[in-house]
Amino acid sequence: MKNSHYDLIVVGTGFASSFFLKKYLSKVKSDQKVLVLERGHFYPHAERLKVKKGEHSDFQKYEAPWEEAIVNMNTKKRWPFTTGYGGCSNCWWGCTPRFMPSDFKMKSLFGIGEDWPVDYDDLDPYYYEAEELMSISGPEGTPFPRKGKYPLPPHEFSIVDKILHKTYGNQYISQPTARASRAANGRNRCMTSSTCDICPVNAKFTLENANLGVYEDKRVELVYGAQVYSLEVQNDVVNKVLYQLDGKEYQASGEVVALGANPFFNTNILLNAGDKNPLTGRGFGEQLGMQVLIYLDGMKNVGGSTWVNANGYMLYDGAHRKDFAACLMEVNNAPYYIRMERGKWLNIASFRLLFEDLPLYNNYITTSANKLIPEVHFTERSSYTMKAIDNMKKTLPGILSCLPVEKLKYLEPFPNEGHIIGGTRMSKDPKLGVVDQHLIHHQYRNLFVLGAGGFTTFSASNPTLTLSALSLYAADQAF
Amino acid sequence: MKRRKFLLLTGLASGSILIPPTLYFVSPGVKQFAALLIEREFKYLKLEPGSVAHYVDDYFAAGGNHIMTNLRWKTMYYLNMNWEDSNLIFELIRTFLLSSDFFIHKTDETRIVRYIGLYNPYKSPVPNPFSYLLYPPDEIGEP
Repeated sequence: MKNSHYDLIVVGTGFASSFFLKKYLSKVKSDQKVLVLERGHFYPHAERLKVKKGEHSDFQKYEAPWEEAIVNMNTKKRWPFTTGYGGCSNCWWGCTPRFMPSDFKMKSLFGIGEDWPVDYDDLDPYYYEAEELMSISGPEGTPFPRKGKYPLPPHEFSIVDKILHKTYGNQYISQPTARASRAANGRNRCMTSSTCDICPVNAKFTLENANLGVYEDKRVELVYGAQVYSLEVQNDVVNKVLYQLDGKEYQASGEVVALGANPFFNTNILLNAGDKNPLTGRGFGEQLGMQVLIYLDGMKNVGGSTWVNANGYMLYDGAHRKDFAACLMEVNNAPYYIRMERGKWLNIASFRLLFEDLPLYNNYITTSANKLIPEVHFTERSSYTMKAIDNMKKTLPGILSCLPVEKLKYLEPFPNEGHIIGGTRMSKDPKLGVVDQHLIHHQYRNLFVLGAGGFTTFSASNPTLTLSALSLYAADQAF
Repeated sequence: MKRRKFLLLTGLASGSILIPPTLYFVSPGVKQFAALLIEREFKYLKLEPGSVAHYVDDYFAAGGNHIMTNLRWKTMYYLNMNWEDSNLIFELIRTFLLSSDFFIHKTDETRIVRYIGLYNPYKSPVPNPFSYLLYPPDEIGEP
């Protein structure tokens, strides 16, 4: 550390931290001192590509298996994440739909869960800003309110997409995505390989290729290998951040602290610091995803462009959410779902169906005997979600009746969706959550807890764009 | 007993069978059976001579070349199994198609099918077979 005291200390360098910093740095004076503590290291995309090609990279030592970073009490449920510079921007698949306005008002509209203390209109300008910063590709005309064009044009529709869009209009759209449809801002055009965790052509937005200018800012000091595990709190004010680096103990002093690690580590830090809020760590989870293969009679499903080529909202919104969950359709364009019958190789479509889940009290994150490692307890899915699967199976054949469907084949639910949501939920009432509408801890008023951990309810939509917009919003409102 | 039920009981469908040792020791090289399975599945295609053997060499070199996997290939061949019976066969022949120029030629059965490198988005030149790169918008038209 270069300084004995900082104006802001940020934990993590993923989406939540980086978008928060982007806004913060645009608003504060040039003499501010910011310390960023990153658990992992910088592992460049070019080096990750080498490893994928079977070549040696000196950076491979920085690969940190997620299984070793947490104690996962239910090994059937997986929680993949990436630590290191850029966090999960290194491994995400680039899906960036906005939430629907109803996602923020689940209690008042459907009597489910709680309403968020922010709504769609609050986030709307920050959605635009995040979409611009990520150079999102997307269509004009969306099921959520949005005016004008996305920064990049939409990806190409397949023939199946065209039929469904013609039938359902704005309920079936080219997916808004951070996989570039055109070369832009140092990123290449998506080459449709559907291998997006480490994009072969660097078309996907990552913090490394983002050009946000955050970590190059002279006000920012970035320390790698700093494993933050607790905070020093006096009279409900956070004074210091406690971390280990190369096995040694360190403390950093700051005016304001922002936890931007994932919900597992944010919770671990809070609980180790003595946070007694009964909801801290409680009610985390993610959507449930399952695949349906749609065998087509006499139709090649060709012409599509990218991993998730389209989103279908036909099972998403409506009065049914009083009884069962919303479902977002992700229309995949994956090469591995080809058929083997002669002449029918490409006569297939594959949809991944994402069902929202509820923040259940029995799914929780807590500390372990090792102060650096959180313990993760995920025990159940809600009946609200499972009922939505039953409904989907009844209604999907009708929805797809505009296609020449030969048969549908449902695959088993996936063990993970790559989204870790909840654990430090937002609320207006301190009794109902951990942080307020600006992601400031209800008790520790100089502490932000960023990221999807703050989501009051889960939505069926992918969380990254919304958590990035929330970071912009929180920093804009607070500074 | 129906064949499907037999396969399930013996574990071949899921890949957990005990195979008679004689079947292993009296048989020719294991990769040959994988190649025979591919040629049998694609008997209606014009496979370039040597392409399948080259592919199988690369496929096994890339992984899965342990003794139990090898034994299964022989057994599956002798039991006249196809891709509907076994995920292993499905994976083998699917990867062969993806590793060839079959999709580049838009599934044209009249053309010779050549192996052009084990399918790998990071190394091989084979595009996503569903992609607009092979079927541009003006070609697929409007519904």
